[in-house]
Amino acid sequence: MKCVILAAGEGKRMHPLTYTRPKVMLPIAGKPILEWNLRNARAAGLKDFIFVVSYKSEMVREYFGNGKKWNIKITYVNQGEPMGTAHAIGMVESFVNDCLVMCGDTIFGTNDIKKIKRKGNKIGLIKVENALEYGIVELIGKYVVKIYEKMDRPFTNVINAGIYHFNKDMFSYIRNTEKSARGEYEITDSINLFASKEKMEGVFLKDWRDVVYPWHLLDANEELLKKLKTKIQGTVEKNVTIKGPILVGKGTVIRSGSYIEGPVIIGDNSNIGPHCFLRPYTTIGNHCHIGNACEVKNSIVMDHSNVPHLNYVGDSVIGEHCNLGAGTTVANLRLDKNNIVVTLNGKKIDSKRRKLGTIIGDNVQTGINSTINVGTMIGNNVFIGLGALAKEEIRPDSKIL
Amino acid sequence: MCGIIGYVGFRDARTVLLESLKRLDYRGYDSAGVAIIDQTLKVYKEVGEIARVEKQIPMMKGTTGIGHTRWATHGAVTKENAHPHLSCDKKIAIIHNGIIENFTKLKEELLKKGHTFLSQTDSEVIAHLIDDAYKGNLEDAVISAVKKIQGSYAIVVVCEDEPEKIIGVRKESPLVIGVGDSENFLGSDITAFLKYTKRVKFLNDGELVTITKDTITVFNINKKVIPKKEELITWDVKDAEKSGFPHFMLKEIYDQPDSVHQVLRGRLSEIEETVTFPEQVERLLTGDVTQIHIVACGTSFYAGLVGKYLIEQLTNIPVFTELASEYRYFGTRNETSLVIAITQSGETADTLAALREAQTSGCKTLVITNVIGSTATRISDGYILQQSGPEIGVAATKTFTSQLIVLLLIALKIAILQKKIGSDELYNAIFDLKELPRYAREVLERSDDILAIANQLKNAQSVFFVGRGINFPLSLEGALKLKEISYIHAEGFAAGELKHGPFALLTKDTPVVAIVTQDTTYDKMLANIGEIKARGSTVIAIAEDNDTEIEKHADYVLRFPTGSQVLPCIPITIVLQLLAYHVANLRKCPIDKPRNLAKSVTVE
Repeated sequence: MKCVILAAGEGKRMHPLTYTRPKVMLPIAGKPILEWNLRNARAAGLKDFIFVVSYKSEMVREYFGNGKKWNIKITYVNQGEPMGTAHAIGMVESFVNDCLVMCGDTIFGTNDIKKIKRKGNKIGLIKVENALEYGIVELIGKYVVKIYEKMDRPFTNVINAGIYHFNKDMFSYIRNTEKSARGEYEITDSINLFASKEKMEGVFLKDWRDVVYPWHLLDANEELLKKLKTKIQGTVEKNVTIKGPILVGKGTVIRSGSYIEGPVIIGDNSNIGPHCFLRPYTTIGNHCHIGNACEVKNSIVMDHSNVPHLNYVGDSVIGEHCNLGAGTTVANLRLDKNNIVVTLNGKKIDSKRRKLGTIIGDNVQTGINSTINVGTMIGNNVFIGLGALAKEEIRPDSKIL
Repeated sequence: MCGIIGYVGFRDARTVLLESLKRLDYRGYDSAGVAIIDQTLKVYKEVGEIARVEKQIPMMKGTTGIGHTRWATHGAVTKENAHPHLSCDKKIAIIHNGIIENFTKLKEELLKKGHTFLSQTDSEVIAHLIDDAYKGNLEDAVISAVKKIQGSYAIVVVCEDEPEKIIGVRKESPLVIGVGDSENFLGSDITAFLKYTKRVKFLNDGELVTITKDTITVFNINKKVIPKKEELITWDVKDAEKSGFPHFMLKEIYDQPDSVHQVLRGRLSEIEETVTFPEQVERLLTGDVTQIHIVACGTSFYAGLVGKYLIEQLTNIPVFTELASEYRYFGTRNETSLVIAITQSGETADTLAALREAQTSGCKTLVITNVIGSTATRISDGYILQQSGPEIGVAATKTFTSQLIVLLLIALKIAILQKKIGSDELYNAIFDLKELPRYAREVLERSDDILAIANQLKNAQSVFFVGRGINFPLSLEGALKLKEISYIHAEGFAAGELKHGPFALLTKDTPVVAIVTQDTTYDKMLANIGEIKARGSTVIAIAEDNDTEIEKHADYVLRFPTGSQVLPCIPITIVLQLLAYHVANLRKCPIDKPRNLAKSVTVE
């Protein structure tokens, strides 16, 4: 059985991080989202993968190659123009018979994948608190009657989780799917066509983590880090305090006086300390530097980025190749303790988080003593001048002086 | 300039070909056609828009096919003359870009052998030649045909009996291989398949390629396999789109603050006070150059005329700017001549021919182009990239201003190498160059003033452009821009030349655009304006902000920012571009695709 992973999307709601990478390549707990899915699917016994790619597909291909590193086989299919999920799945018709299809930007658990893999057409379901943003699934018994996209007043909290088992005959329904109101060919429409003629079994999942907005990476990161077991491959100098589980990659040095409260992941060839404070649920990438008198809490720092001297970074995501100037600090809590409202792609969104620092795209440099307000979205290739205040949304390639 | 696409893979070939042809539309567009193998070979072609061909083609399952947009060179614009062309048994289809020079002789021979021709094109002989040589192996048949034809070509062939294979061959016409997954592409440029893959392999002159769903085999005429490196294209489909502007041309005019910056990037150093080029280019400029020939066509030729002023002003080297298509008939050349060829696409056939001519005469060759990997970059001793990004509008805009800047950088570099420029002067030049993006932006902000004047010109039968010195080639460019997109007759003249003939054409209904800069030509320009006014013509002056005198002489004045001593031609050009654009837009002309014109002209 082949496993089709949809990995073509840009993920505009994941700006500024997806200006420079496809959504599935966003790192969580040190690995791209797509790799978590690949590993879980492999553990469920799948060996033959098809990645449907498009946006910045060269990055997916460069990272995963032909799959040899994971002992699996990967075939790529380029979607060309993204025209919806049904269009993406339709692409693979000539490559598969019976297949498992999953969205590459949502993490599915191994046991759930095993259940979906069993014989017959199936769709993964999950119950959520707020079903507004999802496809609502109407069931009779365990079979799907209809899926409704983004209802104003959902009549149930059972939603389409984004994982399916399709037999070959599904593709004739996909071919006959018409464009939806928002101008895309949507797999939910194909499933509705299918469900009116044939049986599609709904399967409730146990492990499911979707990431829509950049701050959801922090939730997903926390969830995965909770399962972390200590493994230290790098060097830890004397007088370093380590509490809780930590993972330290090859070539990484943790210098004297550092205080690390796990769970924390540190990648390969990074330079930590001396005298820094890493707090729980923090993931530091490869070739990073966290220097003297820096505190990093519940954050993701991607490869080749530096938090080098006198910095505070909390509840934040920092892209690749960034450098914070000495004294750059990130605010992560409003003084009135209200939820933090973020401006993303020009629209205001309630992040539903009381604590949220900043989301910083790739190649951002900040000057000394610059200040970054709560919920600031900073595009890639941005300069923040010395002593400057960064707030709200900063477009890529701009300079804040 | 014809557009070519070949596809073999898993997708519905109909969709892929039609989408690619729409993308290639700007290259040539008097007719279009596709051939798809859906059990049998099926061909659809039509005169006019690609949408007209699209209507004819039913949905089908074929996943191998070729497509072509034509810009007529041999034979009229008719359905029969549109590509693809077929063999007599209708099993082999070919598409071709270029010219088969010996087609009359080949056609006679084929007619004697009993082949029937349906079109007047030179291209059709290729289909019959392949058919004639076909004995069950398409590669062998194509090689045999290629050995007989003379001229320039990019040819793509499909055959019903070998349905999962496409063969391409190129000589002096562009053809690029797009590397996909379980699919592969051939295209006359990368835009043709950029939506599906960014991985490409470049084909050299005389090389052939067979693509199937899973393989790409490049080989030469002796069937020797040639290994090819895969390269990754860094720009996106989005880069080639209009980003919100009504026309590509307007977008590209507005790109200029950035494109001006891009062309300077990495080449200017204020600290070291120098201009830097790649090593092989610097070597060309260091040698004992006794004369420079600039060869180019169209807008690039006018850039070359400006280049003559710029280089001669700063160095002692005589510069001759010549039309590429005329170069072979004139001129003296030897080992100490440097030939600078300017071609935006790097594929302009006339310019490539001049380059080859120069090389045979032992001259050193340097190319200024916008397209990396283009033929011009591969056949010259050195090349300088304009770094302007793709230009889709047929009328050259940002690529012209970038060419001017490259020419100035060359002039500065030679002057530095020959120690002809003092450090103060050099510092000022570098400082001024860095200010150019700002001047460009300031002109763009005045677009509405230019629109007001465009209203005065929109009903004119004929418009003249005049200037002196470096402004003379700019007036030629201003006239070219106006005529090519607005279809108003326009001519550029050296201001002093008017009285030697063109005066006879001046009436009160022929507006004259005069470019006036406050340099040594200023007083004479005012006198010339006086002469024109005396014949009753309306004078629109393009002048600097601080020129208060000019209002007394001209009827209308369009301003550009004062201060750009080193290259006032950049802001002036942008004024001229916006003027042409607004006039054409008011006249509701198809600005991005003027009639009878193509973006890059790949025939001589």
